[in-house]
Amino acid sequence: MIRVDNLSYTYGNGVQALRNITAVFPREHIFAIMGRSGSGKTTLLNCIARFLRPQQGAVFWEKTNILDLDEKRFRSILGVVFQRLNLFPHLTVLGNMTLAPRRLRGCSRQSAEAEALEMLDRLGIAELAESYPAQISGGQAQRVAIARGLMLKPKVMLLDEPTSALDARTTSEFAQWLRELKSATSFIVVTHDLSFAGETARNGMFMVGGRIRECGRMEDIFKHVKKEAGTYD
Amino acid sequence: MRSGFILLISAAWGIIGCSPPAAGAGRELVTALTGKFPPFSYYDRQGKLAGFDVDVSREIARRLHRKSKLIATEWDGILAGLLAKKYDAIIGSMAITPERCKRVNFSIPYYNSGAQLFVRRDNPGRIYSLDECAGCRIAVVLGETYQRFLEKNYPDIKVVTFKSTVEIFEMLEQKRISGFVTDKLVGCWQIKQTKRPFVPVGGMLYTERIGIPVRKERVELLKQINRAVSAMRADGTMKKIYRRYFGTDVSSVRQSGEMTFAVKAGKLLKGFAVTLMIAFSSILIGFLLAVPAGVLLMHAGGIWLIPNLAVRWFVDVIRGTPVLIQLLFVWLGLGFRPFSAAIVTLGICAMAYMAEAVRSGLLSVDPGQNLAAKALGLPAVDRFRFVIWPQAFRVMLPPLMNSVVALIKDTALVSVISIPELIREAQSIISVTFEPRIYYLIAALLFFIVTFPLMKLSGKIERNIKARGFQYDQG
Ligand SMILES: Nc1ncnc2c1ncn2[C@@H]1O[C@H](COP(=O)(O)OP(=O)(O)OP(=O)(O)O)[C@@H](O)[C@H]1O
Ligand SMILES: [Mg+2]
Repeated sequence: MIRVDNLSYTYGNGVQALRNITAVFPREHIFAIMGRSGSGKTTLLNCIARFLRPQQGAVFWEKTNILDLDEKRFRSILGVVFQRLNLFPHLTVLGNMTLAPRRLRGCSRQSAEAEALEMLDRLGIAELAESYPAQISGGQAQRVAIARGLMLKPKVMLLDEPTSALDARTTSEFAQWLRELKSATSFIVVTHDLSFAGETARNGMFMVGGRIRECGRMEDIFKHVKKEAGTYD
Repeated sequence: MRSGFILLISAAWGIIGCSPPAAGAGRELVTALTGKFPPFSYYDRQGKLAGFDVDVSREIARRLHRKSKLIATEWDGILAGLLAKKYDAIIGSMAITPERCKRVNFSIPYYNSGAQLFVRRDNPGRIYSLDECAGCRIAVVLGETYQRFLEKNYPDIKVVTFKSTVEIFEMLEQKRISGFVTDKLVGCWQIKQTKRPFVPVGGMLYTERIGIPVRKERVELLKQINRAVSAMRADGTMKKIYRRYFGTDVSSVRQSGEMTFAVKAGKLLKGFAVTLMIAFSSILIGFLLAVPAGVLLMHAGGIWLIPNLAVRWFVDVIRGTPVLIQLLFVWLGLGFRPFSAAIVTLGICAMAYMAEAVRSGLLSVDPGQNLAAKALGLPAVDRFRFVIWPQAFRVMLPPLMNSVVALIKDTALVSVISIPELIREAQSIISVTFEPRIYYLIAALLFFIVTFPLMKLSGKIERNIKARGFQYDQG
């Protein structure tokens, strides 16, 4: 369980991207963080992932401040898939997936690759194993990036705008894929695409101007948001 | 017989004031000559040093009860090398001039010679002495005293300089100059050897006394050499040696122009091997240094600031100064042995050029790559080794290859610090065969055989990178 306590973050240029955020992310399959462009979603994600250090407040994993966890343990708890994915272009899909397990857990090449193939198979993208990132489509790349993160079996995985590079049809295919994905990992999905969020998550939060406007069941959030913004899609 | 421009170099090194280990302190008499000045010094049929100066050196060493050791070096830096204690003396047909006497002490002359004007036998310009040469192009070897003499006494003559008589002979053959001035003895000998249609015209311009320079502080050595030289003149030894090379009796004149094919091939291949050895060791050193240097160049903040500035400055200095000066500085200024000087200098040079390639290669990798690797929990060393470096390396390969090719070509410069590499060996062959066209062509070809595949490879990698979309913002 991740808990965010009174978190504020201000960028060097004076933009206050997060204002006193307090929230609890329950352990469930998929949780959505929504909000318009510029509302502070990525900033929140980067604070949770320790890539930004908040000026005020803290992030907790169970009862521990994440700043007190050592790097190796922290990264085994929390995985991140960036908006731009950042697959390693010089490695095949298998190479992308096995690098961290081999270096961090000292797995042999064979066992790491067997594990990766099994994972790809489970995610239904086994045919991509030997491809290079430049040779696969955006939707496939999104899945590969998630598969790469899942290799380390994190407890929680953050996905930043997973659908921003996908067309409508690929997006709904991806939503279904994510929903049916059998994994012990819970996902926190950052998105401005409300229909995608509605398709995947049961609970979520809606951010406006660095604050949480709504938090709870998706139906309730939609009701409020629709009433307020009228035409927000 | 050669001039003061070398004094400039030697003066420069004199100011820097270096103290490398004294050569020949023991039982050896180490003397220098060029090995490219037949019949005074050249390589014989077996590829060994021979000539009038060589025989005189050996005889003097024998009389001093020392073993004779000969160092073949470029004329351009020969005095500087003496001042830098690379050898005890120069027995290489050096004329005694007041300018040189300021820096070194000369022995009594061991032979006299004189300047002579030579023209084509068909004499198209109707030239019979220097007085008829106003407006004509007259050639001299770069660094010889004749240049000064002509410019002072015949201001109307256009004096042109060349690296050796080989080039001058070619120019006169092609009628691109009207004549040349050189030592009478050497000129006649070379013309006979090469069967060129050139003849001496007019009388000797002036006489030069040829002596043996030693450093000023070697008073005792100078005394011993003087004693040996006057004894050799008195007992006829000098005359005997002289006759070996300039005797009127043709059968007694030593043959030199006929190196066997095997010797020539051997010299060229050995020179080529030396060139490759120097090139690849310095490339290796350069690359190993370039990686940390390139990484440093990327980081300018905080504690990195000082090392970053130091590397930046050093790289700029190396890139902004001629390699030739760096070579001479390391060799004469810092007192390195020729081989170490070559490898160290070219290695550092390679580093400077490659560091820039390494830096821009590293910069071409999307910072998101590092972030993603960090998100996977990979420690800094692994991130560099498995994620950043492999991508950067593909991008930096083409510029690295260019540096490698440039460096291989730069090895040609090390001939000036008396390393027997390809060019020097080619020149030593040319100095006796007088066939610059074929031997320079062979040398160029050998270089090309190495550089061509490298250039091709570089182009191929470049295309490959573009095709595979390695640089960032692939999907
Ligand atoms: N590196 C930065 N430096 C300065 N300001 C930034 C930086 N990154 C984001 N901001 C600002 O902080 C605010 C929140 O940005 P953030 O990226 O968290 O929004 P977002 O909700 O992820 O938007 P989007 O949906 O467009 O990704 C914005 O006003 C943005 O301009
Ligand atoms: Mg964002």
